Amino acid sequence: MIEERVFNCSMMMIEAKSITKTYQHHIALNQINISIKKGSIFGLLGPNGAGKTSLIRILTQITEPDSGEVLFNGEKLQPRHIYEMGYLPEERGLYKKMLVGEQLLYFAELKGLKNKEAKQRLKYWIDRFELKEWVGKKVEELSKGMQQKVQFIATLLHNPKLIILDEPFSGFDPINAQILVDEILLLKEQGATIIFSTHRMDSVELLCDHITLINKSEKILDGEVNQIKQTFKTNQFEISYSGIPIVSDDIIKVDSTERENLQFKTIVSLNYAMTGNQLIRHLLTREIELLGFKEKLPTMEEIFIQAVQQKNKYTHA
Amino acid sequence: MHKIWLISKREYLTRVKKKSFIIMTILSPVLIALFYGIIIYLSFNKEIADDSKHIIVSDQSGLFTNQLKSNKSISFSYRNIREDEAKSILKSGQVFGVIMVSDSLFDKSFKIKLLVNEQPSLSTLTNIENQFEVLIKNKKLSENGIDQKILSEINSTGVEIETRKLTDSGLESGNSGVTTFVGIIGAILIYFFIFLYGVQVMKGVIEEKTNRIVEVLISSVKPFELMMGKIIGIALVGLTQFVLWVIMVLTLTIPVSMVVANLMNISPETIAAGSDATRQSSGDIAGILSGFGQFNYTLIIGMFIFYFIGGYLFYGALFAAVGSAVDSETDTQQFMMPMTLPLIFSFALAQSIVVNAPNGQLAIWLSIIPLSSPVVMMVRLPFGVPTWQIITSMVCMALGFMFTVWLAGRIYRIGILTFGKKPTYKEIWVWLFRKN
Repeated sequence: MIEERVFNCSMMMIEAKSITKTYQHHIALNQINISIKKGSIFGLLGPNGAGKTSLIRILTQITEPDSGEVLFNGEKLQPRHIYEMGYLPEERGLYKKMLVGEQLLYFAELKGLKNKEAKQRLKYWIDRFELKEWVGKKVEELSKGMQQKVQFIATLLHNPKLIILDEPFSGFDPINAQILVDEILLLKEQGATIIFSTHRMDSVELLCDHITLINKSEKILDGEVNQIKQTFKTNQFEISYSGIPIVSDDIIKVDSTERENLQFKTIVSLNYAMTGNQLIRHLLTREIELLGFKEKLPTMEEIFIQAVQQKNKYTHA
Repeated sequence: MHKIWLISKREYLTRVKKKSFIIMTILSPVLIALFYGIIIYLSFNKEIADDSKHIIVSDQSGLFTNQLKSNKSISFSYRNIREDEAKSILKSGQVFGVIMVSDSLFDKSFKIKLLVNEQPSLSTLTNIENQFEVLIKNKKLSENGIDQKILSEINSTGVEIETRKLTDSGLESGNSGVTTFVGIIGAILIYFFIFLYGVQVMKGVIEEKTNRIVEVLISSVKPFELMMGKIIGIALVGLTQFVLWVIMVLTLTIPVSMVVANLMNISPETIAAGSDATRQSSGDIAGILSGFGQFNYTLIIGMFIFYFIGGYLFYGALFAAVGSAVDSETDTQQFMMPMTLPLIFSFALAQSIVVNAPNGQLAIWLSIIPLSSPVVMMVRLPFGVPTWQIITSMVCMALGFMFTVWLAGRIYRIGILTFGKKPTYKEIWVWLFRKN
């Protein structure tokens, strides 16, 4: 009993330890470790074929790992845990000939909800997404955007603690994508844990608290988004101004300059370590009107490329 | 179990609510009745299929003049002509043929020749041959001193064997024609039900795969539950259809049999006053009707339901496995062949060998092996099958479908998540033993 109470107090929603999975002729996951904090948004990033979907299929118990173990909320992963997960797979669809309402109820019941409870929850979501007039219609009569909303509701109807979204924005138009993001942030506020899996790394970096980068079945990077960005930053600054274009000197090196009407946008890197204030002071000695100043942090894609290169160098060495 | 129930409920309701289901359930028996009605009508009215043919008979012997009977398809006229005249008449195209009968019946050189422009049909030829045969036989018999009256009496002799089958409750009357009919009907129904609903399972699985619903589902339920739910749901659709048909047949048969019974009430008077023909035909109807009464319908319907479920599970599971392995229906051919062959083979055998020797070695074995037992056993049942054979067959059926369900489950769990490429037999073999 005591042990169980300790487990349920776990800070971690998911702890995957040394997960390895091989298919007939290739390794899909090689000794992967991840930890996902409760109430956080976790980004599982990597190019196509890196092993993201394989890992998700293990978390959702569609397949089993060859070795390693997964803890869900501190407990060893068990079939009943699927009731606490909502999974929007990359390959997704609905029964075209079924009525929207019937279909959602069916999915909810498969997730363990009682019919009565499912109906109540359905009402909430129908109101929220303004789908009332569509409930009695067949899915094939709905527009693509509407179908996406239905699909999204089907993922969330049973109020899961862990929401797994595999390439969530693929096929979503920008309006629906924004609705999805807003909902996700609301769910996070309400205490849900969310996993985003995508190969479009820039699309989720602003949303994620924590990311893991995987490439060719191996984890290459892992950590808080801010921390990673700090680690990979290149001491570059982006300066917007008018006046005479900045040129390199013994303190700064100009990497690029773009002209927009009478304004310039120049990216400089520092020859010596200095603070932002010191750089501004140095710039003000020039004949320019400073309009904007910010530290240039690398994008997730740039970080990914760097991390892969570093990893390769390390392996070859 | 709860999830299997949920899935089968969905499968059942979406199918039963479809308009096409309701229409087919009502129309199928009507269409089948109509189909057989047309066949029976056509076979009783052979003549309508053929144009009337006129044949000139040139009878040198004089024995057959005005003796051949014309009917709707052949008519005869008599004129003595020479062969070269006959040829020119034929050439003119006025007649279908000319029959040349030579001089004397008892000569060795006696010959009947049919001159035609085009090859006559077998039925036309048989008709003419039969008529000549009877006439010649009668001639020869009367030449040998047999009286015309005795002759017609001999010719009208008919024999009808009444079969009595020894059963536990004593001797029961039987009718082999009706028994065969009931057996074949049972076999046809089983054969079509397995095919019809087996293919529906396959289509359902392919639909879920191509619509990409499967991955959504598979995170909530185990592949095996999904497969079994689908198989059971569709089986219930089949049973519903069958029960509706039984009810429809019963409600239709009752008024029909009342009409027949009415006719039978009138018949004693007709028989008393009537001809041989009426007596015979009403006797036939009585035989057929009593023939239908001879069966233990509870056993036959009960067994039908068992073999439908058993055979359907046996084949349905394999159909599900095929559906899971491919991406579209066009890819199924290669895998369907080895599955459907035994079924088609047993259906073909059931119609020929099993009907002729319902208790022969081959029939017994085919009714025990689960690949063929659903069809073959349905044919054998009306003829009477020893209890031990029924039990052995049922046990084998149960073991058989447990095996195919297991096998299909192994293929299905991998197949439904494999997209893009049609697997080979070798790959499927590997799937069977792969860990999850």
